[in-house]
Amino acid sequence: MRIRRVFVALTVAVVVSILFLSIYQTGQHENILRVTTTTSLYNTGLLDKLAEEFKQMHPDVSVQFIAIGSGEALRRAAQGDADMVLSHAPNLEKRYLDDGTLKPGKIFAYNYFIIVGPSDDPANVTGMSPIEAMAAIYTAGERGRAIFVSRADNSGTHNRELMLWSLASVNPSGKTWYLELGADMALTLMVANEKKAYTLSDVGTYLKFSDKLGELKPLVERGDALINIYSVYVVNPVKVPGVNEKLAEVFMRFITSEEGQKIIENYGIDEFGKPLFNAARGDPTGELKNVWESMAKLG
Amino acid sequence: MWQEVAEVVARSLLISGTATMLAAFWSIPVAMILTAKESEFRRVLLDLTNTLVAIPTVLVGLVLYLLLSRSGPLGFLGILYTPTSIVIGEAVLITPLIVSLSASVLRETRAGIWEMAVSIGATERQALVTMVTESLPRLMSVILIGFNRAIGELGVALMLGGNIKGLTRVMTTAIALEVSKGEFEFALALGGVLLFVTFLVTAIVRKVGKTA
Amino acid sequence: MIELKRVSFAYANEDIIRDVNLTFGPGVTVVIGPNGSGKTTLLKLAAAIYRPRVGEVLIDGVNTWSAPETVRVSVRRNVVYVHEKPIMLRGSVADNVAYGLRIRNVPDDEVATRTEEALEALGIKHLAHEKAQTLSAGQQQKVALARALAVRPKNLLLDEPIASLDKSGREIFMELLREMVRKEVCVAMATHDRLLALQLMGRTIVVENKTATLIENPERIS
Repeated sequence: MRIRRVFVALTVAVVVSILFLSIYQTGQHENILRVTTTTSLYNTGLLDKLAEEFKQMHPDVSVQFIAIGSGEALRRAAQGDADMVLSHAPNLEKRYLDDGTLKPGKIFAYNYFIIVGPSDDPANVTGMSPIEAMAAIYTAGERGRAIFVSRADNSGTHNRELMLWSLASVNPSGKTWYLELGADMALTLMVANEKKAYTLSDVGTYLKFSDKLGELKPLVERGDALINIYSVYVVNPVKVPGVNEKLAEVFMRFITSEEGQKIIENYGIDEFGKPLFNAARGDPTGELKNVWESMAKLG
Repeated sequence: MWQEVAEVVARSLLISGTATMLAAFWSIPVAMILTAKESEFRRVLLDLTNTLVAIPTVLVGLVLYLLLSRSGPLGFLGILYTPTSIVIGEAVLITPLIVSLSASVLRETRAGIWEMAVSIGATERQALVTMVTESLPRLMSVILIGFNRAIGELGVALMLGGNIKGLTRVMTTAIALEVSKGEFEFALALGGVLLFVTFLVTAIVRKVGKTA
Repeated sequence: MIELKRVSFAYANEDIIRDVNLTFGPGVTVVIGPNGSGKTTLLKLAAAIYRPRVGEVLIDGVNTWSAPETVRVSVRRNVVYVHEKPIMLRGSVADNVAYGLRIRNVPDDEVATRTEEALEALGIKHLAHEKAQTLSAGQQQKVALARALAVRPKNLLLDEPIASLDKSGREIFMELLREMVRKEVCVAMATHDRLLALQLMGRTIVVENKTATLIENPERIS
């Protein structure tokens, strides 16, 4: 009968496809390393580059990056769906360290957040310290002369922005000039460009997009409060069962090794003429750690 | 780079194709049951199905993520961040759509074909079989619509697949990634490829359906 | 013979047919009545396609709806209802005509001969390999009639059977009808065609105001 043939054909097709798909996921669990990472880091291409180099040494290992906001990256790790987290949100990281989800990690890179804004700079923040700049934007906003666009997505960048407002002792929440997008960095920059607004950005995404951001320019680029610290954590197998701790440790050692650090500090020179990241090189002075601590407390 | 694109295209077709077949596999029998008899209960179920057609893809993704997460009830399967999880997610996503559209196709056929079959002496079963075989060309279009929704959706693929390079990166997640990297031109090109491939599949299925 | 006893039928909570007692057959029964009066519903009830809300439908003496499905199917196989708008399956005319035989698991060679006979009887043998769904309304009506004839039913219920037939088609149809009567097939047909009704001079059922009455003497209808 015709319908039975159709039914059989369908069954066969489904079974065959699932078998075929399962070929994709061969390779033992021990050889798969799952890393949830902040989008801004992944989108620069640095991680694929690191994974490529790592694969030369460990050809049977598959490093899989899941690029999401820092908040989600940490949350997914806590759910047991990652072996390793790359994050740049000290206050959030602290929370997961305190509850034992993450083992103490390592700072492997840093760069600076930048405050970008319209080239005519209506709030006159050029040359100010980051915290003075935020206060100036707030004042200008209240006078109807400036707009600020916030990512409002619990990402590392968003958390830093909130920290800067609180360091400046102002609270823009709910103001008409304060636009909370709930969007990634790329879209946030595009919106800021359209609205001639100020925003906080990581340097990598800004450089990638700068050719599309004719109305904007970086106004404040230095200052301790803008240090953007990237840390790597192995998920704690005691708290979260099933973590591939061994492989995670190996990859962490690679990232923080001389070789890994060289890749990091040279990355971006080809494309932008200057590197996107500074290697932490074990943070010999302990200065990065201090900044990290103070930020974790502020969150 | 274009080799990678080809790979992503093939993966998208395979994943969404499997998801569509899987969804058709259970949706059409459900639609048959829902249209077999008129009753208040079935009408409510159909209304519910029609409502679920509007479900946001991210929501389906989130619910399934919580189920498939290692700490979730189905975590032991270990299929999160694999193509299989996207297959399941997309199949679930398009189920209401296929049920709803098949139900309306079958209800129309029922009024005519089913009655004719019964009136000429078919058993309930034979009438049902005739009804489905007669509806096949239109059910085929329904399945195609399901496929197009599956291959074009982003939320489930992103949430359950994780957009892992070489493993779960499909066309939509690749496009989203290129957009967030600022590679708008490349993203547009990928979008063109997606539409072209979808068009091709539609055309081929229609051609095959006509000769069958 | 089909008997309806105290039959009521409702659609969407509203009675369309109420408390009808009727017998179709022997011979030809004509069902007349205004548009939308329920002629089609009445025939579909008699064909055991619709299930009455209350009442009994007896086909050749068997109470259709209280019988188990196997019994119901076997009695129903003695009844064929032909829709006013012919319903064609995908596939050829021959496939359509053979359909009733195939579901009865008639052997292949017999299917072929009976299909051919039926096509011949309606003068559409030349259409055997055409796609049924692409034919004109009149041709489709002939296919539907051929499909009904092929299964050799004891009871034949026709809904506006000649509405889309041309003059020669009607002549063929009248010839077939005489043949049916000779073979003691019980025929009931709904029609608008007063001429046809008079021509047949059979028993006439008038459907009106949700009820149906048998009029033994059709000349009295004005």
